[in-house]
Amino acid sequence: MKFYARRIAFYAVTLWAAISLNFFIPRLLPGDPFTILMAKLQRSGDIPAGVENSIRLLLGATQDQSLWEQYVTYWGNLLRGDLGISVTNFPTPVTELIGDALPWTLGLVGTATILSFVLGIGLGALAGWKRGTWVDSLVPSTTMLQSLPYFWVALVLIFAFSVSLQWFPIIGAYDVFHFNGPEWSWAFVGSVLYHAFLPAVTIVISSVGGWLLGMRNMMVSTLSEDYVTTAEAKGLRPRRVFTTYAMRNAALPSLAGFGVSLGFVVAGSLVMEQVFTYPGVGKLMITAVRNNDYALMQGVFLVITLAVLAALFLMDLIYGFLDPRTRHND
Amino acid sequence: MTDIPTPTPTETAAVAARPARRSGLRQSLPSMSGKLLAGLILIGAIVLFAVVGPWITQDPRSSGNDAMLPPQPGHWLGTTSLGYDVLAQLAEGARGSLIVGVTAGVVAIVLALLFGVVAGYLRGWTDEFLSLVTGIMLVIPGLPLMIVVASYLQVRSLWVVALILGVTAFAGPAVVLRSQARSLRVRDYVSAARVAGEKTPRIIGVEVLPNLLPLLASQFLFAIVLAILGEAGLSYLGLGPNGSITWGTMLNEAQGGGALTRGAWWWFVPPGLMIALFGTGLSLVNFAIDEIVNPKLRLAPAAAKSVREARKAGKDKLGRRPATAGVTTERTDVPEADGPATDQKERVDA
Amino acid sequence: MIRGKSRGRRLAAAVAALTSVTLLAAACSGAAGGDEPAGESGGPAAEGAATDRELVIWAGSQTPITANFNPYAVGVLHLANGGIYETLLAYNKLEDVEPTPMLAESFEWNADGTELTVTLREGVQWNDGEAFTADDVVYSFTNDTAKPEYLADANATDDTTVVLSFDEPAFANEFAILGSTYIVPEHVFSQHESDTGEDAEGAALKGLVAWANAEAPVGTGPYELDSASNAAYTAKANPDYWGGEPKVASLRYVGIDANQSAEDLLTTGEIDWTTMFVPDPERVTSTGAYGYVNTPIDPVVLYTCANTDLGCEGDQTDVAVRQALNVAIDRSEINEKAFVGLATEISPTYALLGRDDKWIADGMPAESPQTADAAAAGAILEEAGYTKGADGFYAKDGDPVEITLTSVDGWTDFNNAAKLIEEQARAAGLKVTASTVSWNEFADTRVSGEFELIMGGVVGTSIADPFQIYREWFSGDYTQKVGTALEPGEWNFSRYANDEVDAAVQAASETNDEDAKAEAYATVQEHIVDDLPYIPLVVNATQTFFNTTAYTGWPTEDDMYMFPPSWQGPSSGVVLGKLGGAE
Repeated sequence: MKFYARRIAFYAVTLWAAISLNFFIPRLLPGDPFTILMAKLQRSGDIPAGVENSIRLLLGATQDQSLWEQYVTYWGNLLRGDLGISVTNFPTPVTELIGDALPWTLGLVGTATILSFVLGIGLGALAGWKRGTWVDSLVPSTTMLQSLPYFWVALVLIFAFSVSLQWFPIIGAYDVFHFNGPEWSWAFVGSVLYHAFLPAVTIVISSVGGWLLGMRNMMVSTLSEDYVTTAEAKGLRPRRVFTTYAMRNAALPSLAGFGVSLGFVVAGSLVMEQVFTYPGVGKLMITAVRNNDYALMQGVFLVITLAVLAALFLMDLIYGFLDPRTRHND
Repeated sequence: MTDIPTPTPTETAAVAARPARRSGLRQSLPSMSGKLLAGLILIGAIVLFAVVGPWITQDPRSSGNDAMLPPQPGHWLGTTSLGYDVLAQLAEGARGSLIVGVTAGVVAIVLALLFGVVAGYLRGWTDEFLSLVTGIMLVIPGLPLMIVVASYLQVRSLWVVALILGVTAFAGPAVVLRSQARSLRVRDYVSAARVAGEKTPRIIGVEVLPNLLPLLASQFLFAIVLAILGEAGLSYLGLGPNGSITWGTMLNEAQGGGALTRGAWWWFVPPGLMIALFGTGLSLVNFAIDEIVNPKLRLAPAAAKSVREARKAGKDKLGRRPATAGVTTERTDVPEADGPATDQKERVDA
Repeated sequence: MIRGKSRGRRLAAAVAALTSVTLLAAACSGAAGGDEPAGESGGPAAEGAATDRELVIWAGSQTPITANFNPYAVGVLHLANGGIYETLLAYNKLEDVEPTPMLAESFEWNADGTELTVTLREGVQWNDGEAFTADDVVYSFTNDTAKPEYLADANATDDTTVVLSFDEPAFANEFAILGSTYIVPEHVFSQHESDTGEDAEGAALKGLVAWANAEAPVGTGPYELDSASNAAYTAKANPDYWGGEPKVASLRYVGIDANQSAEDLLTTGEIDWTTMFVPDPERVTSTGAYGYVNTPIDPVVLYTCANTDLGCEGDQTDVAVRQALNVAIDRSEINEKAFVGLATEISPTYALLGRDDKWIADGMPAESPQTADAAAAGAILEEAGYTKGADGFYAKDGDPVEITLTSVDGWTDFNNAAKLIEEQARAAGLKVTASTVSWNEFADTRVSGEFELIMGGVVGTSIADPFQIYREWFSGDYTQKVGTALEPGEWNFSRYANDEVDAAVQAASETNDEDAKAEAYATVQEHIVDDLPYIPLVVNATQTFFNTTAYTGWPTEDDMYMFPPSWQGPSSGVVLGKLGGAE
């Protein structure tokens, strides 16, 4: 029990430090949101007289709190579940913005991550099983895919399939030229799937190589273990040896990595969402950082922090359970 | 950087799980596999290009040429919208990207050693503190952190970007190294050294580190690839180094200049390809390191192949035996190889 | 077919010109022609046929879009400005013509510029059915959020007349009052004056700024809000619009995050109207589906922190260095390579060439030098006591000239221009280092004055008169000490302060007499052309693309009846009112 208590204490401290950093990091950024807003408004021509006045009023409202007072208010609001209001998307509450973005990110990045994992594990197992054949020699080429810059892949895909061939849409999570917002209809669901295809392919292309490689290597090692040899010697069908003996054991370490990746799914995929105008959390984060939107930044950081910590914690629990030594050594 | 692929845990796990041997590298080096050779050639060619290229190409910042020329004699990769020679930029960019990659890799590995190995070996409050820092770094979104640090420095030079990338990338390797150091700590020879009264720094330096060497090497190569990809990602978001040319800033400019839509593939494709080729080269070397650390990876496929060939030759029943025997023989050659049971457990531990 | 159409447009332009003469007459002749009958004077009248095809617009919004149609809000969406809410007049930013009457029929200044009488259009309705009244106009000028500091009082003297009075001559604010103040319904807005909300810091916000006006905004404009999501919002034609029901039945404004995507969507024909930088516009127009106009208006300059008295530091504070840099720059190369040949020549007087020619004083150079003259630069520097070192760079008393030039990362044209300037300056012996910064850092350093050189833009004036620039960018009243942030509305980033310029600006603001203004401008120009607190480079392109296959009525080269960008209010509302389906 002491082990778990220590781990929980560790996570509590990490959480506190991370949340505090989330508070201070945005405030260390140069510029304030209104200066940036003015600069942006100037970028698109005249600023209406009324708006200039509004900015003055908004500036007046925020200037009198000390950093410490703000920090205390921040914790107070946080504990009440109030993440504040976004300046760039005024007057939408941050919780609402994140609430809107999260399903898209979880849906797309989550699915793509799972897909990439399953595909990588499957192909990796196959490559390991067929070790020494031509299938195995294909493995190194997957490292090439993994080393391509993410946005480069996305831009090339869009250029080829969306602009030149016009097979796939260019922007959005659904047909924004047709639907007036999400709705429950088969047409809409179809549109969502259609729009998710290229972004998902981008994610899978850039991440499948890692899983495949790791799995293949584990598979090769596992296949030369004595218990596998024994199983083969007993005359078990190769198929059974492959699935029950080799693959299951070889996939174990990959699962650990998979857990962490799932934690990071919440962060979305900054570049992918930017390139495809996909309404996810990563996109919110870029918007927030670029506009010094403190509340939004803090909210997004908080959600990501919590998700990653939760994933790590879960992994810790599982490991403590699977490997008793972890507990005893402490 | 949430967007930059993190070192794939499986792969590092696979490496970490190898039974530790005290002089593993030297023993199994002799066989130079095709992958290693290909990887070294790729890396060598690109490094050579980075070193020699800038001397034999024209000034990468000379706008005297015509803009947007397609590849032709004199401009083998064409020119950009400002009239810069793409080949010259690519060479200068290779230099920049390699500097960023290697510097960030070194920074990340050194920090990972401190926060991973020292924490894993020492335990207690030191471990708690170092792990806490690692944990926070792992959890905090890296991108805004980079922006904050970068915006505090008036000019974001190549070195600064490399430093930032290194500092924000150490947490992953640190976790891997820490768990491996933890398992090494309880090995007999380490315990023996402790009992013999050796000082901690010496134990870490002489007993623990050499056993972590292959793992370190592969983490280092990974960190380089990640840093180069990370630099490209930062540049795409407009946060790359300024005043220097890297493959990332080239891509950023090509993208901003509408290279793809204007049909200037010669401007957009080469930098991406170079990153991919260099990454592939490093990964191939990593493959080889994997095979050195874990001979099974090298021997088992070969064995399986010989089994198949034997089977083809009609010696099915006999064929199976020698193959397995071959592996077993090799393993007994390796000193201090752990049995399969513990091996499996350590893998989980990693 | 295109020929025929343009002839028709020319006729329309002639009619428009005629009506503006009427308006001019009304404005100048005072009491005599003051009450011209309402109705036929100007205003938008749709061309073409009625169409149900939805017009897709990108006005620069990024996702997520937050429904906000409050014209006083910082994040107000483009449809609100011009599409839903209208101004009294619509000024044509591109030509020296009289403004188009919108909610006002005419206006008149008293002799000393302290009283402005506005005659309103009759028979206008809010889209909720209420009548538009003079009280709405008074309210739009006097509510707490909108009231300008210079306005003393506003009164409705009868149903269609509003008199605005000022303590000081307010000629210079004519555009702000008539052309950029949106008229809002008192019966709706007064309900929300005590709305509360909180800002990002949790501080309380009160009043109209805290209101998003997202549900069925009530305006007088040609369109009404139909639906809004965080990816797009739609509008439908206002059947009771005073200018006649718009012929395009519905609009869709979409959010797009990357310029590349927008360009791709133009290529595939999915956007009907957008204003954005496209390096090779011919590629988009080559299919014949799109029309295109380039309307350069906004000057691109080097902001220099110029004034040591206010705390500026660096070699650029020496006027000789600025002058040398000014002649060392090869503007034609910058335009050709960095701005892809789409920008136009700039006048160092900041009068927009072609539109404001009459304001350029005698003896002033019409345009900045287009080619580099390194020898002239060297002569200026040597005259000022600089000597060329062995490294080829100039230095004074052993202290080499070293200046950092920043530009916002991702503004490709600016980044490229900065690189070219670095190269050109080097050829003249000046060490300028181009560097890129984040948007935040750019916004921060320019308002605080902690920079040496910034590649930046100047907002082109909204009427055919450079006064706005002289006052807001060059006068000492519109700046602060280095380290103190400029207030909203102050644009003098260079910290330039010159008593003679300030006096001339003041004099110009007090008169409506062209000769007196020209005289004051001559003084301003004489100083700024020499002192160069901003080093002029080019006038940047503003490229607008529009679907001519499905729609007609767009502003074109032949008939530039209004500034065409999709993001500019209130002119975009005028354009929307003019559109119709192509036959």
